[in-house]
Amino acid sequence: MTQNLYITMENVKKSFNGVPVLKNVNLQIEKGEIHALLGENGAGKSTLMNILGGVHQPDSGSIYINEKEVKMTNPRISQEQGISFIHQELNMVSDLKVYENMYLGSELRNKVGFLKVEEMCRQTHEILARLGVDIDPKEYVRNLATSYKQLIEISKALLHKSTVIIMDEPTTSLAEHEVNRLFELMKNLKKSGISIIYISHKLKEIKEVCDRYTVLRDGEMIKSGNVEQEDLDTITKLMVGKSISQNRFVHEHSFGPVMLEVNNLTSLGLFKNIHFKVKKGEIVGFTGLAGDGRTELFESLFGYRKKYTGEIKINDQLIKIDHPRKAVEAGIGLVPKDRKENAIIKDLSVIHNMSLSSIGNFEKSGFIQDNIERDKFQYYKELLNIKVHNPSITIDKLSGGNQQKVIIAKWLEVGADILIFDNPTQGIDVGAKQEIYQQIVALAEQGKSVIILSSEAPEVMRICHTINVMYQGEITARFKGEEATEEEIMHYATGSKREAAKIG
Amino acid sequence: MANTNVKEYNPQVSNAKSRLTWLWSEYSVIIAFIIIFIASSIMNPRFLDINNQLNILMQVSIIGIVALGMTVVMLSGGIDLSVGSVLALVGVMTVLALNASGSILIGIFTALVVGSFAGFLNGLMVAKGRIASFIATLGMMAAARSIALYIAEGGSVSGEVKGFTAIANNDLWIFDYPVIIFFAMTALVYILMHKTRFGRYVYALGSNEKAAMLSAIRVDRIKIAVYSLAGLLVSVAAIIETSRLNSISSSSSGVQYELDAIAAVIIGGTRMTGGRGKIIGTLFGVLILGILNNMMNLMNVSPYLQGFVKGLIIIIAVVFQKRE
Ligand SMILES: Nc1ncnc2c1ncn2[C@@H]1O[C@H](COP(=O)(O)OP(=O)(O)OP(=O)(O)O)[C@@H](O)[C@H]1O
Ligand SMILES: [Mg+2]
Repeated sequence: MTQNLYITMENVKKSFNGVPVLKNVNLQIEKGEIHALLGENGAGKSTLMNILGGVHQPDSGSIYINEKEVKMTNPRISQEQGISFIHQELNMVSDLKVYENMYLGSELRNKVGFLKVEEMCRQTHEILARLGVDIDPKEYVRNLATSYKQLIEISKALLHKSTVIIMDEPTTSLAEHEVNRLFELMKNLKKSGISIIYISHKLKEIKEVCDRYTVLRDGEMIKSGNVEQEDLDTITKLMVGKSISQNRFVHEHSFGPVMLEVNNLTSLGLFKNIHFKVKKGEIVGFTGLAGDGRTELFESLFGYRKKYTGEIKINDQLIKIDHPRKAVEAGIGLVPKDRKENAIIKDLSVIHNMSLSSIGNFEKSGFIQDNIERDKFQYYKELLNIKVHNPSITIDKLSGGNQQKVIIAKWLEVGADILIFDNPTQGIDVGAKQEIYQQIVALAEQGKSVIILSSEAPEVMRICHTINVMYQGEITARFKGEEATEEEIMHYATGSKREAAKIG
Repeated sequence: MANTNVKEYNPQVSNAKSRLTWLWSEYSVIIAFIIIFIASSIMNPRFLDINNQLNILMQVSIIGIVALGMTVVMLSGGIDLSVGSVLALVGVMTVLALNASGSILIGIFTALVVGSFAGFLNGLMVAKGRIASFIATLGMMAAARSIALYIAEGGSVSGEVKGFTAIANNDLWIFDYPVIIFFAMTALVYILMHKTRFGRYVYALGSNEKAAMLSAIRVDRIKIAVYSLAGLLVSVAAIIETSRLNSISSSSSGVQYELDAIAAVIIGGTRMTGGRGKIIGTLFGVLILGILNNMMNLMNVSPYLQGFVKGLIIIIAVVFQKRE
């Protein structure tokens, strides 16, 4: 084992504003392995990788590559040492083209200094093809779906001849087949001697692709070992300190009258002929592959998109929604996916992000009351176990999963009657996932209508009463939650089976 | 997850170094102000003279009021180039209304309506017309100046109502009215930006417009309100400017005010792209500019060179802010 050792991080310590985040962490990465870095939200995984990647400086501790000590004083040096970093949050410049993003800061030039555009496009195309992506390198990034952005981010790391690739939650917006392609690629990279550090909260992925693991908890290294020798439950316990049941939630409450009815909703090129009903107290899931139109459908319902036809009824009353504000007034809330783009206001504090959509709850005669905000945040902090030392810091200082929890708190605070969650557990650890599901079930028990969009069939199967499967903008199947199987859902999601009779 | 018993944040634990960097990043403009203030008092003994100090305050009050509005616009992610021209237009209209009606109240009312309407039009172009603020307000800058010139036939107009000059020329104890108005406006805008939902929404939309919209914020209305507010503050500045000499020039009043206002906002630490910045920062940015102007006069720097020095200071301020 030792002769294979490639990177060692020794006794790494790091604190932010006096709060220790990493306490004496050791990490050993071997040549040609896929190493899972595990731990709950805020455990310090991204921080540790940011130190390896030269983004942050450790307070103390050392890094060795091939037994030689290196100082990663900035990201460039780390890159020169052969380390590529795929960050947790996407860093695309949306006003640039795909190939320009790929080569940002390392553009190819000919002797005179002009850009070799065609060459860059060709290579971009080639690398993307390895991930099974077929997009025009000259397309603007802003026009692309998030899963493509994530795949471009991954390809960018492949561009440099690296020996180590850090992947911080690379699959949060990928569909299953894209994940499988990525895993194929990772296994090939491994064969050619490249080491990969892989961070993910999806334990199934860890089992499938990783060789060894290291678990962090509260900034301390808990355990390192071989993935094969452990079962998922043991790893879960190491991470969050208890077992988490993966069983379906049993619901015992009954439904009320129909709350939301959608008829014949159509938007050219995005979705067509959408019909569904959601009762009070019901949890309805929508699943499918990337590009199935579910996000666009509910962005339309929420008034963010305006070009659609068809009717929406709430409490049997026809309403027209042309702005998210109107949706909220009509009792609809939407927790959007891709928090960095759609939900996080990075210059506002954690508390102010929480209160942004429901400021009325915190006002007295027109003025915002800091103490009410603070108390309310304290409530959500305990409810959702949000890990933050000082909630007055800007939200971008929180770990990814904790940012997501704040966004969920923000929408719980709005208190909508119909709450739509789009990919709600993006970047959330197994333990916290369970707690969020419990919150969702509790909402339903209070008589709210809940809609859950997710590309993960198991997620909707765990909590939904009714599951809709979408394919290319149409609902192709509808199951009762307890009757659905993953296999069956996949058939409809991939379009290999269509059965109009199922719908109705 | 229950065993993540996180200790409460305790600033005393912070080590001295990180506290210092925090202090610098939050209050760099105040520190810069103190340094410049001390340096000035050493370089020229007349600087500390109370009359000179009051004089500085008087001189910055008009730009200061304009800069407050500019701060709000820039926090929302925009810019307003039209402030100087609108100031001239408001001034001309005010004098006309004043002379026609003989009533100071009607004069002031006209000023407030004209200024905020010009701002409203800016906001409409930016929010509903989806025109970049730089372009929209550049258009307004040309248009407002042209109307002012047309009405005043290229010259100045003077007030004929007694008492109007009191607004800018009387004082309370040792403070001139304009200084008091400036500080009052600063306090009001501060409260607006930090204690009300309007302020919160402006920061949100300047930081991430899409997320603000998806947070159910009426982004368009907020933008319109932002530019209208800037116009309203320009009106206040225009009233003071007109009252000071009891006249306004359609060709030279307000020229380059947008540059001074933007400079003050940037020195004050507001980010050009919006979302981050403080009203207090702008207050000190305005004071720094005032001290610089004052010192250059006291030290007999050629007026032709003063622009150079100012430009240098702005660039230095921006370079320092880059290292966030
Ligand atoms: N720049 C920063 N300033 C202050 N605190 C920070 C900063 N970056 C990270 N932290 C804190 O460090 C802790 C660890 O964060 P980190 O991002 O490493 O967690 P993580 O293990 O990646 O979690 P997740 O699974 O949610 O992504 C968190 O409590 C976070 O609030
Ligand atoms: Mg992380």
